Amino acid sequence: MLLKNKIALVTGASRGIGATIAKRFAAEGAIVAVNFLKNQKKANDIVQSIIDNNGQAFPVQADVRNPKAVHQMIATIQDNFNGLDIVVNNALNHYTFNPKTRQTAESIKWQNYQSQFDGSVQGAFNVCHEAIPMMSDQSSGRIINMASNLIAFPLIPYHDYITSKTALVGFTRSLAAEVGALGIQVNAIAPGLTYPTDSSVETQNDVRESIIRMTPTKRLTIPDDVAGSAIFLASNLSNNITGQCLYVDGGLVMR
Amino acid sequence: MQVINKDTLKIIPVDLFKIPKATFLTEFRYQSIRLGETVYSLRLPIPTLAELNVLINQLKANQKAYLSHLKVAEIIDWIDQAIQCWTNPKCPQRQLAIKLLPVITGYNAETIKLEIKRFIRIFRKKELLRFVDNELNQPEILDDFHPQKSGSLTKAFGPQTIFNVFSGNIPGLQIWPLIMGTLVKAASLGKTSMAEPLLPVLFVQTLAQINPRLADCMAILPWKGGTQSLESVAATQTGATIVYGSDKAVGSIQPLVPSSKPFLHYGYKISFSMIGREALTPEHYPQTIKRAVEDIAVYDQQSCLSTQAIFIERGGSISPLAAAKLIAAELANYQLKRPRAVLTNPEAAAINRTRNQYQLRSLNDSTIQVLASRQNTDWTVVYHAKAGFTNSPLNRFVHIFQIDQLENVPRYLNDYQPYLQSCGMAVDPNRLYSLADRLGEIGIDRICSLGEMTRARPGWHHDGHFNLLDLLHFVDVEPSMEAYAERLDPDVE
Repeated sequence: MLLKNKIALVTGASRGIGATIAKRFAAEGAIVAVNFLKNQKKANDIVQSIIDNNGQAFPVQADVRNPKAVHQMIATIQDNFNGLDIVVNNALNHYTFNPKTRQTAESIKWQNYQSQFDGSVQGAFNVCHEAIPMMSDQSSGRIINMASNLIAFPLIPYHDYITSKTALVGFTRSLAAEVGALGIQVNAIAPGLTYPTDSSVETQNDVRESIIRMTPTKRLTIPDDVAGSAIFLASNLSNNITGQCLYVDGGLVMR
Repeated sequence: MQVINKDTLKIIPVDLFKIPKATFLTEFRYQSIRLGETVYSLRLPIPTLAELNVLINQLKANQKAYLSHLKVAEIIDWIDQAIQCWTNPKCPQRQLAIKLLPVITGYNAETIKLEIKRFIRIFRKKELLRFVDNELNQPEILDDFHPQKSGSLTKAFGPQTIFNVFSGNIPGLQIWPLIMGTLVKAASLGKTSMAEPLLPVLFVQTLAQINPRLADCMAILPWKGGTQSLESVAATQTGATIVYGSDKAVGSIQPLVPSSKPFLHYGYKISFSMIGREALTPEHYPQTIKRAVEDIAVYDQQSCLSTQAIFIERGGSISPLAAAKLIAAELANYQLKRPRAVLTNPEAAAINRTRNQYQLRSLNDSTIQVLASRQNTDWTVVYHAKAGFTNSPLNRFVHIFQIDQLENVPRYLNDYQPYLQSCGMAVDPNRLYSLADRLGEIGIDRICSLGEMTRARPGWHHDGHFNLLDLLHFVDVEPSMEAYAERLDPDVE
């Protein structure tokens, strides 16, 4: 097991990629805090399925955009486990990837950008701000921020989403440059269109097929693909790798 | 274990039958499907002989009182309105179909959603007009006497009622004979298969919202196939019988149909594909592979239109073996994208048996290679370096034959001649018609592009024959009668 007895927090873990990462972390031996915003039932279901498979997990509610709520969440983890080894910043403000109804450059408002920044960048900031002191106490820690391959190849220009995810990669690099000295590695994963998830179901078949056509592996990304890379970046397999952005998109972006 | 809270469950009744007003079914059995917090309670009738007789008589009366007086153009308009409803994603019947069919049939939910969307569009007004025109030079002869080049005036009549035996392999396919019958002004008694009893019922429900009198000329209900008492009444009391299904289904109904009445049947068929070297250039081969797999994966080869074997020509930029390997990899991707239906034990055993047979042969025969998914039956490619032909146990199992020249394909098909149906091709225009000619000669009746095999056009001569024409009888009023009648006009001098 690659993550035996590690304490891991996965934000936005009640569904989609986050839920899959939580399950796979637990299968590798981690004790997983399954963070959710609203959907207590789904979070409970994920926790239950982890426990059913002899893993360890617990649900923890917090709006990552709210510093107080995040403080409370991290304090709960500290009280119960006296440490935190892995953080996956996966939560974002709800976003629907629908090429037919997306905001155009003309119609989009600053508020749209702001709300994506709040979810992705501020959310990651709040969690890191609380987690880093704990990680530095133990001279080790892994932080994984969930970006998107759209930042390198804005195939469909979801302006607000792409801008905030690009900022998140900047945040990742800058943070990595400083906290590396404390034994903490900070990396990002940039998945391609991950299907199926609740956010991506509205991306129509024609668009999906056009992405598949351009993708070397001739398929879309599935949540398990992303979870595999998350395990890599969370485990000792990725020792001495920091400030990187790992593209998990079948080779659509190569850099 | 999941805890079920009965208080939060919503129960929605769904009738798996649709019968005309003033007719009744009295005995039922129930099945339920649970999706999240919603339980769909499915009601299936157990019809009696007496009820079936009443039903058929009512259909006849409704046909006589209403459908027989509609003009073909009007019928097309009404059907088109129902189709327009179904092209709207908000159509409640379409939504219900998309929810329940994956559970009923086991097919991948996304495949069903996409294919129903595509399928329903082939029945738009313009397509129905084309279809009727394709079958009849003057569609109006279904409405009235029209002059013919021979000098006669002719009118065409369909049967008053048709007994349709629907198959359940492909969702929605039942709509096809249902519309065909209605176009020739026949009331339809449709016996659905337990494998897919839902979609025709939902379609007639939509029609009933638009034109209840037209919908009352249709009765859709399931019963256990092979119930001879019911099937005998249905076949003798109606004017024509159409059977879709296995050879066994066809064989069990045929003896029940009086020889004086039209009997149309669409039984077991085999389809295959041909890939020319011109489709295996660096520019084209990735799309060629994708198209080939589409014909294997959509509805897991359960349609008679799906490919069972692929001939791949030598001399392209990639070899037939390389193409076979790419097809195998694409089948693996397709499994991630849209998994195949879960198989019954006999279906899985059929795949394992055939796999084993070829794996054994490949030990001593280097011309055979088996490429297959590990630890499961998800997909199988059997590559044959020597040309030949054989059918497949289906469910994403395909044979690939290397061949020097596609022109040689017909010589391998002799043993299968009575069963051959569609051929999906990837060839350039210079070869298309000469190849089509050779294939037509040995009995293939449909040639379409690779990747579109499972989506037949409405005007297709299904299994090589006309569709409407075989149901019709014609009345000719000869010139002698026309002239004689003129003489008997008391006012003529």
